[in-house]
Amino acid sequence: MNEEKEVEEQSKPLVLEKLEEHHADSLLAQDEARGTVVVVVHKEQVYAVLEYLKTDPELAYAFLVDITAVDNSQMESELMQFDYARFMIVYQLYSFQDQCRVRVRVPVHENDLSVPSVTALWKGANWLERETYDMFGINFEGHPDLHRILMPDDFEGHPLRKDYPLRGRGERERFNFDKQNV
Amino acid sequence: MGLDFVGRGVEETDGNIITTTIDKVVNWGRKNSLWPMPFGTACCAIEMMATLASKFDLSRFGSEAIRFSPRQSDLLIVSGRISIKMMPVLKRIYDQMPDPKWVISMGACASCGGVFDTYTLIQGVDQFIPVDVYIPGCPPRPEDLIDAVLQVQQKITSGASPKGVEVVV
Amino acid sequence: MQGGLERATGERMVLSFGPQHPATHGTLRIVLELDGESVLKATPHAGYLHTGFEKLGEHLDYNQYIVVTDRMNYLSPLSNNFGYVLAVEQLLDIEVPKRCQYIRILMAELSRVADHLLWLGTAALDLGAFSVFLYSFREREKLYSIFEKTTGARLTTSYTRIGGVFRDLYAGCEEDVRQFVSNFQKALKETHTLLTRNRIWMDRTKGVGAISGEDAISYGLTGPCLRATGVAHDIRKAEPYSSYDEVTFDVPVGTNGDAYDRYLVRMEEMIQSCGIITQVLDNMPDGPVNLEDNKITMPNKSDAYGHIEGLIHHFKVVMDGHGVETPTGEHYCATESPNGELGFYIVSDGSGTAYRIRIRPPSFFHFQALPHMLEGGMVSDTVAVLGSLNVIAGELDR
Repeated sequence: MNEEKEVEEQSKPLVLEKLEEHHADSLLAQDEARGTVVVVVHKEQVYAVLEYLKTDPELAYAFLVDITAVDNSQMESELMQFDYARFMIVYQLYSFQDQCRVRVRVPVHENDLSVPSVTALWKGANWLERETYDMFGINFEGHPDLHRILMPDDFEGHPLRKDYPLRGRGERERFNFDKQNV
Repeated sequence: MGLDFVGRGVEETDGNIITTTIDKVVNWGRKNSLWPMPFGTACCAIEMMATLASKFDLSRFGSEAIRFSPRQSDLLIVSGRISIKMMPVLKRIYDQMPDPKWVISMGACASCGGVFDTYTLIQGVDQFIPVDVYIPGCPPRPEDLIDAVLQVQQKITSGASPKGVEVVV
Repeated sequence: MQGGLERATGERMVLSFGPQHPATHGTLRIVLELDGESVLKATPHAGYLHTGFEKLGEHLDYNQYIVVTDRMNYLSPLSNNFGYVLAVEQLLDIEVPKRCQYIRILMAELSRVADHLLWLGTAALDLGAFSVFLYSFREREKLYSIFEKTTGARLTTSYTRIGGVFRDLYAGCEEDVRQFVSNFQKALKETHTLLTRNRIWMDRTKGVGAISGEDAISYGLTGPCLRATGVAHDIRKAEPYSSYDEVTFDVPVGTNGDAYDRYLVRMEEMIQSCGIITQVLDNMPDGPVNLEDNKITMPNKSDAYGHIEGLIHHFKVVMDGHGVETPTGEHYCATESPNGELGFYIVSDGSGTAYRIRIRPPSFFHFQALPHMLEGGMVSDTVAVLGSLNVIAGELDR
């Protein structure tokens, strides 16, 4: 375990160094948590940063592992590393070349719930963005087909938001079988 | 062996003639050739597959003719979690089955939502379709499913109507 | 694959395939646009088994959530248990004793075999080879009995705990597993003779549903589906967790990325898993199975019944609001589940319940890539391709 960490620590600065060199103005914060580099990026530049991480031959974060979001509305403010934003979009990337991971976080304020879509970079981003839209109501601009994926099309609300109750708002009891399009 | 299966009320005369009622003969036939329609969605479906496979072998009880077409089946086995997106599908499958039809609700999730008391999960399919036999367990063992099939068979022998139908034949 | 479009007639037909269809394993739905028998467009639909796992994670404490992970990929619950507790342990920055790590590897590999066996049975069944289904369930039942003796349950095992496992292996487990492994090699040969050079099986799977390595990476494919394209990526090798760096095994890869290669890769992975299992049994260290930290794991029963401290610790671990508490922060931990990269991303606010749990399910990506593999092919290939991907609705929809 220790050896592995040392190796990662050596490669870590490279990502940050290169990002600072090429995208200094888009970085809001940076961190290293448990062997993973975490960068916080302004949402206007997220596409450029992710594209850079993917295509730079030295970094080659070619594999999009995951896109998800976190609703910060019940997070205590002192735990936030920077200014409060209701949502945080989280991108996980993996590099086959260096066998290491990087996490890109993008704060999204409630009054402007839109983020550029990265479907042009990774085909796999399509459903991930749809799920994030379904669960959190984040709009991914430029997504080819943004609609609900897990919940029925006529569902109201976004279940993974913190203000949505665990047991729902009565959807599971109310049923109109005629309306449902099977 | 055969005559016992026809149930009470059978009279055997000196010759090779038996008298009984049509209902009893029909029920005897039904009981021994239940055709299940497996509505398997989650973990319970894996145990249902195990029930059908080599070790437990549901065909010993005449129910191995699994039909994925509801129009050919008379026993609906709901095994697994049913979400609000799935419920209309289940209802439609149930409606498509010809009468008389029986329903087994296999496992905690289908019967009451199980450990998933969440926004998306139906807390018991019996709110929307009539259920004849419930099987507890998460997931139930294959023996439990066999027992449930036997209970449906008993129900048929006794001449009781399925939950969802007022009068049988 | 190419033959389909040439025979096209120009008439379009929309076919809703699933969610209730034997080959969709209950809950998958694909809307196919057909021209004759060739597939012009395929649109997979997900969500028919959406259960709210991620939302539940925000309401259950860390040990309670293990129960939920069982029901995610229900073909191999032990791998899910493993992946989840590993994520929490890494968040806590603790390492479990060596014996526990080995037991977890043993169970994860056994469940990999069980998962691939069920995949084999159903994929073959979908293409009409019923006997393979019976053969693989015969082997799977043997594994069920080992799981049941070890964990107390056939399917929903909930075997791991934060900082350890539920209990040590039972006496005689080693013999049972060794016997299974030695018989299994023979049983797998039987399956090879049934399928591998079978004309029908080869015709139905060779060149069907092919995907290139580049596309596979772009779509986020992992596990056997990625390795079948020739990309030798295995998290057990790339980022060894638990004690995977102490066992030797090969990562089988395919060349064409088609359904047949996925079949071969999985068959070989079962053999490799058996190798790992044997090594683990040979080198199984002695010692405690649980981390000796009373804030995290339960004390021995004798302590709980015999000493007041033990009793207090026992209650503290179990009681609501007193259990395992993680430091604030976030962590993503990936493990190589039988289907591919199973990741847990946990955000903690320092309490005993996760602030957010995100599950990265391998099947989600495999199902998404389905149109890429289907379009331009024949409608009958849909079943073969879907079967070869092993999409598990439980983890697809969560």
